[in-house]
Amino acid sequence: MIKVKNLKKYFPIKGGFFNAKNGDVKAVESVNFEIPEGEILGLVGESGSGKTTLGRSIIRLIEPSDGEIFYNNENILNFNEKDMRGLRKDFQIIFQDPYASLDPRKKIFDIIAQGLKIHTTMNKQQIYNKVKSIINEVGLQEEHLNRYPHEFSGGQRQRIGIARALVLDPKFIIADEPVSALDVTIQAQILNLILELKEKYSLTILFISHDLSVINQIADRVMVMYLGHIVEVANTKNLFSNPKHPYTKSLIETAPQIFRKNKNKILLKGDIPSPINPPSGCVFRTRCPHASKDNKEANIEMGLIEVAEGHWVDRCAINCN
Amino acid sequence: MKNESLLSVKNLKTHFSVGNSVVKAVDGISFDLEPGKTFAIVGESGSGKSITALSIMGLLPNNLENVDRGKILFNNQDLLTLEEKEMRKIRGNSVSMIFQEPMTSLNPVYDLSFQISEAIMLHQNKNKQEARKIAIDMLDLVGIPEPQKRIDAFPHELSGGMRQRAMIAMALSCNPKILIADEPTTALDVTIQAQIIELMRDLQKKLGMAIIFITHDLGVVAEISDTVMVMYLGNTMEIAKTNEIFSNPMHPYTKSLIDIAPQITEEKRKIHVLKGEIPSPINPPSGCVFRTRCPNASSNEKKESIEMGLIEVKPGHWVDKCGVNCGHLRA
Repeated sequence: MIKVKNLKKYFPIKGGFFNAKNGDVKAVESVNFEIPEGEILGLVGESGSGKTTLGRSIIRLIEPSDGEIFYNNENILNFNEKDMRGLRKDFQIIFQDPYASLDPRKKIFDIIAQGLKIHTTMNKQQIYNKVKSIINEVGLQEEHLNRYPHEFSGGQRQRIGIARALVLDPKFIIADEPVSALDVTIQAQILNLILELKEKYSLTILFISHDLSVINQIADRVMVMYLGHIVEVANTKNLFSNPKHPYTKSLIETAPQIFRKNKNKILLKGDIPSPINPPSGCVFRTRCPHASKDNKEANIEMGLIEVAEGHWVDRCAINCN
Repeated sequence: MKNESLLSVKNLKTHFSVGNSVVKAVDGISFDLEPGKTFAIVGESGSGKSITALSIMGLLPNNLENVDRGKILFNNQDLLTLEEKEMRKIRGNSVSMIFQEPMTSLNPVYDLSFQISEAIMLHQNKNKQEARKIAIDMLDLVGIPEPQKRIDAFPHELSGGMRQRAMIAMALSCNPKILIADEPTTALDVTIQAQIIELMRDLQKKLGMAIIFITHDLGVVAEISDTVMVMYLGNTMEIAKTNEIFSNPMHPYTKSLIDIAPQITEEKRKIHVLKGEIPSPINPPSGCVFRTRCPNASSNEKKESIEMGLIEVKPGHWVDKCGVNCGHLRA
């Protein structure tokens, strides 16, 4: 349904004399992937890996620097603003922080109904009925519509955020860390709700998270991102049972587990490098446990290779193991 | 419970008055901390984990409600009865604390040298040069590269992981007997979290301090702790050795938390759900505080009038009595 080709996003860094351009933050580097209809695609990586920028670029909330994005076989980067507005109701987003993403001065009804007022020709009664049915759908009641966001707990606010995203009957949803700010018990409730609604409304979802355990529970397929690059893509089962890239392996091994079988885990050294000046060649080489002494990874060109059906790994990682 | 404990908390109550109501943030908890061991406190937000830590540190706001607060015994003295002046000699010296958000808990306008040396000069009678030398050694100990250079760095010049290392260096600079760590890895990426957990385990081996580790993440508990206390709404639900609590959880709340914790498995797992949300501590449920969310609630109508309290079901394994009974009914 969505097909992304060579997508790039560079943010220019300006400053100094005449506000000259001093460099770029290379947030997303030549990313290629597809999301078939009805799939939950997980996108995982550390902070600074470019997950959010990638998610927002796909629906042009951030204007990509280069590349192509096909939605129903049309390149939406060629669309003008007006055409794009027509598409907006198909694309919705659920945000991480349920405290910051709801306008504190609006009632819940107005928050949810706003999209309907803009994108549809429904009359007042129709809008009210639609909002009422959606609020029940996410596990809240009609009487909640007259309240303000501060009267709700974090979990309830996230439900409201989901209702707002769903009210326009979207096709494609970007869920950007929707459960990261929530307690574990609430997290489980929201994940379940997303799964239920996905079935009911046949949604396609890009689910962004830094937490592999959450991705493991919800995604059909997973992309692992590091410093703007996709380093591994596979279906969930293959990724967790047979990870190929040393970064993926390390993420899986370091995720805290209650019942761990494998006790000797590989700890990654250091922090994720700055995307202003990423390492040459394989971007992961500065933290890679298999990095060679002669530094040959510095000259390698990155790119995914299919190692098994539907299982793609960056080529540097295939050689280093 | 045992008499060889380093710190003994007995029936601790921390109630606040807010307007006309009373918030029972911590409502009668007891536990013992053994020297050199790690004691984890786990629970959802609002369960009273952090207030327990702040009660031990004597860092509470002054709207405390006047109730019998119980005892916190350390070195044969009750920390709750100490004057602020006495408490100041203990805080940051033999008991120190690190916090969740390393950016907000370091002072942005001072360099590390000043912030780490401050406690050393205060508690160990060292002059500025000596304190600076100790501070550099501490930075080296916590794995900050080039400590001679980094000692003059300001917090904004460090990454999240490095800031948390600097916090740990500061907390350990006076060789504390107890380190209280309040969600020290929650704000960090998994790869950095793993580094910090490894570091804390290493330092505990080297320096021998006991750690009270507060977290909401049972995975982290399994990695670091010797003993676990599960809290809910200011009350203790269960205390046991880490292996015991995961292999043989008794309280329905502990069981739910274990079922719910997101885990990596090779097959996609069914997501377990515990209904509802943690009630307000202003008006907690009568009887068993967990009854409003308890999966076994209907099986025991006495829950509304039951009195809470821990029962030792096995040596070292304590469970709230309501949880023991309803667990049996379920089995």
